[in-house]
This record gives sequence, C-alpha cells and structure tokens, in this order.
Amino acid sequence: MSKSESRSFFGKIFRMRSEDREILKIVGLNKEQAGLARYFDFLVVAAAFLLFCGAFHLHVMLSAGDWDMFIDWKDRQYWPLIIPIDTIMFPAAVQAAFWYYFRLPIGATLCGVCLLTSVWIGTYSYWHLWTMFPIVLNVPSIIIAGCILLDVILLIFRRWIFVACIGAPLFALTFYPSNMAALTGYYVPVEHLGSMASMADVIGYTFPRSATPEYIRIIETGTLRTFEGTSVWVSGVFAAFVCIFLYMLWWQIGMAFSTVKTWSQSPKLKKYLGFKG
Amino acid sequence: MKINYTKLLKIFLISIFYFVIDMVVAYAHGEKAMEPYFRTRTVMFYDVTWSTDNVKVGENVTIEGKFRLHSDWPQAVDDPDVIYVNQSIPGPVFAKIESYLNGVPARQSFRDMEVGKDYHYKMVLQGRVPGNHHVHPGIAIKGSGTIIGPGQFIKVSGSQKDFKFPVTTMDGVLIEDLETYALADVFKWHSTLAILGIFWLLWWVWRPLLIPRYQALKQGREDLLITRLDLTVGILLGVFVFVAIVYNYNVQANKYPITVPLQTSRMYTDPLPVADPQIKINVSRAEYDIPGRTMRMWVEVKNNGDNKVRLGELTTANLRFINKSFGHAMNNVTANYPSEHMADGGLEIDKDKYINPGESHKMFITAQDARWETERLTAFLTDVDARVGALLFFYDEEGNRKILDVASSILPVFTDDDGTGPSYQRIGR
Ligand SMILES: [Cu+2]
Repeated sequence: MSKSESRSFFGKIFRMRSEDREILKIVGLNKEQAGLARYFDFLVVAAAFLLFCGAFHLHVMLSAGDWDMFIDWKDRQYWPLIIPIDTIMFPAAVQAAFWYYFRLPIGATLCGVCLLTSVWIGTYSYWHLWTMFPIVLNVPSIIIAGCILLDVILLIFRRWIFVACIGAPLFALTFYPSNMAALTGYYVPVEHLGSMASMADVIGYTFPRSATPEYIRIIETGTLRTFEGTSVWVSGVFAAFVCIFLYMLWWQIGMAFSTVKTWSQSPKLKKYLGFKG
Repeated sequence: MKINYTKLLKIFLISIFYFVIDMVVAYAHGEKAMEPYFRTRTVMFYDVTWSTDNVKVGENVTIEGKFRLHSDWPQAVDDPDVIYVNQSIPGPVFAKIESYLNGVPARQSFRDMEVGKDYHYKMVLQGRVPGNHHVHPGIAIKGSGTIIGPGQFIKVSGSQKDFKFPVTTMDGVLIEDLETYALADVFKWHSTLAILGIFWLLWWVWRPLLIPRYQALKQGREDLLITRLDLTVGILLGVFVFVAIVYNYNVQANKYPITVPLQTSRMYTDPLPVADPQIKINVSRAEYDIPGRTMRMWVEVKNNGDNKVRLGELTTANLRFINKSFGHAMNNVTANYPSEHMADGGLEIDKDKYINPGESHKMFITAQDARWETERLTAFLTDVDARVGALLFFYDEEGNRKILDVASSILPVFTDDDGTGPSYQRIGR
C-alpha cells in the first residue's frame, strides 16, 4: 500500500486486501472517488440500519407481537411456529436485494441484528424505564443464529432456490433451540397458589398487565404430540415447510421492490425535471 | 419563507399544555369511555374493601368484594363464558401475590360464569413502585374487555430498590429476586449471537461496498467480490453458530433438567349460594332528566317474604345512592369508602317505608347527581342499547340485606317540565 493511498479515507480506517484494490482498479475509481464512494457507503449503511430497525420491528410487533414481547407467551406450539414464519419474510427480501445487486451475503444477518437492536431498545425503554415492568417479563426472542445460517447457505450455494430449500428450513428448525439456549430457566416448575406453574407463568402473574388478562394468551391447544411428548418439533417441521415457500415469495418481493420503475418516458416530462431533451 | 419562531413556540407550549391535561384525565383509567349499558348491566361491584390506603414497598394490601353478574346482560357484550379476576392499576406498581374467586385461586381464567349470580373475589397486592396509585378491582370478560370496579388511592412509600420477590422452585432452588431471574444467561447468549452477527456484517462492510461492488458485478468480476477467504470465513462462522446452538441448548438442558410448559387450564367455581330474596320488582318507567341530572324510576315492589323490607341503596356503575334516612343502609357503607363513588345527594324515595309481607308497594325513586354527567353515564343517549341497570339493596328490620338487579329502558327528558310518569305523586322539583 503506497503512502498516499494509506492516507486516503479508505486507508485510514481499513486495510485493503489485494482483491479490494483490484476492485477499485477495474471499476476505475481514483482515490478521491473511492473516498466519496466510501462516504456514500456509510450514509447508506447508517440509513439502512435505522430503516430496517424500524420497519422490521414494526412488522414483527404488528404480526406476532405478543409472542415476541412476553415471556409467558413463549409456548411450545405457536411460538416456534409463528415467529420463524413471520420473521423469515424481511431477511428473504433484503437478502434478494443485497445479493442481486452487490453480491453481499449479509441481508438476513442485517435484519436479525436490526430486530434484536430495536426489540431491546423497546424492552428497555418503554417496557422497563417507562412502564416499570421488570426485564424478565419482556425477554424477546432472537433470530440471529438462523439469519447467519441463511447468509452462509447463500454464500456457499449462491442460488436462492438452495437457500429456500436448505436455509429456510434450517432457519425455522434452529429457532427453538437457539432461543432455549437462554430461556430454559423460565420453564422450571414452581408451586404457585397450590398448582404447578412454570416460572414464566409466575412472572406474568406477578407483574400484572392490567390490559392483558390471562385468557388473551394464545398458547398450546389441541393434542399435537410427538414421541417426546412435546409439540415443539411438530410445530418446527411445519414452520420449516411454510418457510420454504415464504422465502421464495419474499425473495421475489425483495427483487420487485428493488427494481427501479419509472412512470413516464415522455421527453416533455424529462425536460421539466431538468434532463436534457 | 421566514419562520415565525414565536408562533412555533406558542404551538409547542399549547401542545405541552394539552399533553399534561390529558395525563391528568388519564388518572380515571378509562372507565368513563365505556358504554353505560356495559357499566350498569354487566359486572355490578359491591362491598369492595381495601385493607389499607398506605403501604410501604414490600407490604401487602388486600382488596376484596363481591359482584353480581347482571341478569339483564346486554346483547352487545359477550356472555361471561371466560373471565379473569383482574385489577386496574397504573402499570406494575404493585406485584400481585394472590387472587381468588370464591376462594379458588384465580391464577388463570374462569369459565362458565352464571348470569344473575354473585361471586366473591379477593386479591393481595404488594407495594412495588412508590407513589399514590389508584387501585381498582376489575373483571375481564373475554371478547369485551375489563369492567373496572371502584377505585381507591393507595399510597406506596419507600424505595423501589428495596423491592425483592423471592421464589422457590419445585426442586427447592431459592431465587432471590424474580425480577432478574436468569437474565445473566439471556444477556450472555444474546450478546454472543449479536457479536457474531455484527462480525459478519463488518466483515463485508469494511470492504469496498455499494458503488464499487455494483460496478464490478456489472463487469462480471464476481470472483473478486466473493473470495476463497470469504467463503472459508463464512463456512467457519456457520459451523460455529450451529455448534454454539447445540452446545448452549444442552448446557441449559443440563442446568435445568426439569421443565414444564406454560400452564393454561381454565378454572371453574360455583356461584355463591344466595337465598331467594323473595321480592319481586317491576320497573314501570325510568327517565333521565337531562337538565336536572337525575334518574327517576317508578317501581312496584312485591314482598313475598316473611319479613318487612325497606329499600336502602341503589348502586350502578360504581356510583352508590344511599337512602340516608335508613340506618341499616348507612351502616353498610364502610368508613373509608372513597367519596368519589358516593352520590352526595343520596337516594330519594317517595313513600319510603318498610313493605309488609305480602304487600305490593309502588315507589318513586330519584337518584340525582352530577356524576351522571361527569361519569358520562348519560351516553345512553347515543348508544344502541338505551337501557340502564342497577342493584337495589333491601334490608329487613334486623338489617339482613337482599340484593336485586333491575334494569329498564330509560327515556331521556329534555325539558324542565314534568315527565309523563305513572299517575302517582312525584317528589323533588
Ligand atoms: Cu383509577
């Protein structure tokens, strides 16, 4: 790396690999242009991060909110079914755009990190600081593990159909174990008012949500059982199946939304907009 | 365009002003927004008591009382097939220790409640956040929402830091404070995954990003964009994440060998046994005098029992109208009962007397109070269901109480002149 290059904006923060210098060379960006492109990158990265934080969080809150919000909603049937199905949509669409235009296998991980950031901001600020609920009541679910696997599968196979068939089921099936890796303690049994309850039930009862009576919870119904006596894996396999098709659909939606469409090619309109003839 | 900063400041101050006003109004817990048919003909609270109005953080207050599910249950409200013994407090300022319906622990919801019957509830709350909090009991009805009982201000003093909620698990482990239980595991695992995710993002973001990559891709140089090193790092990361999931899942499974799923059974209790009051009531007409803020009822009471009875109280929507000339009725009001729920003027009864066994007695009842307006109970004028209900408390000479739920269509009277009630005499105005 030459001295002048290392003093450029690029060189100051990051050491470039030889491939990176090669990229800049074939693209034909000189030092100044490369610096400007870098500024542009940071603006877009910052904007994209905030945008996906807001949009993905809103999407999850509106469609699967309670299961993600409350510890006493994370049941064995609907939680591992609804959250993966609901949260694969954004990663698929963002992966599509990032992969197709930039060959960046980071769309899903970006969504996962954004979601985790915004739910923790929510848990801490409005649930804990503002409305005084203890954090244990509002421990969110986490999807980053599945997101990283989606991105790695895309990186390895480089075709979205493989991600749909391998990555999406993996995303759904790893959701439950990757969350229970932190939440198992909330399911230890406690004797509560003469009956058995899980710790999560006790937390939900003790710190009352006046506008959320107990019957509102949608948790485990029916007689769905596997040999292990739990409905988790039945839900997981079904979620995996649904995720395959949702991934395909949302990849296409991501492609459609990242395509530039113009309304009119009229020369007159172009002229008004300041383009030449 | 020139920006007028004084004007902006004014708008800002006015918005702040209204925001503050809104916060003051919000102390009422929103029950005023509910339709009168909901508040006067569903869950009728009575005999509500608060064991104290002043607790320290960590001390308990017991709220108990009874309610009647009104027989004239409105069609617009879902039947009480599933209910939950609830409370209305501003956030988790109290921790709920216990709650019961007819003595059955009300950890979960109850099913198949019977209309026209009485139930007893009790809940024990523990002070958690200091402040002066308005505490109501409430009964949540699935499909319709929570109907809130009368509220009492309870002062919690001390410091929230002193609040600890110890719990012992069934395998005998003592958890010192439920509020922070197992959070260390959560923070550790969430930050591990977050760091892995951020590492993966930075791995790509540190390289030439948008414009150069887009251009290079156009020139078909994918080989430069994704190198062998990228692929290796990606595969290693994927394997690491997978192994970390399996490892941590098993670590937790070994740390907590016995787990149970969330519990969700529905409870059932028989209603309270209540003797037949042996009183028949026929409401001939009910009017609401809008300028006079008065509800008037013409009723005919038939005493089928063996003892004389006399009307002592009319209660509806947590407003109590007491027959102040009647000792037994006055005795039924506990000393510290919140005055906001007591109608100042009380209940006026024309031809107030003990009704003899077998006698049929026509009465004219007047319940006047400005709270009809301020509690927005007059919203029946704009409702689809212009009926109101109430509980009537009768007492015999020994002071034994008999409770009847009555309901009737209510007719608005818009003018100051006499209404068109039945021909017998009216009092007041
Ligand atoms: Cu209140």
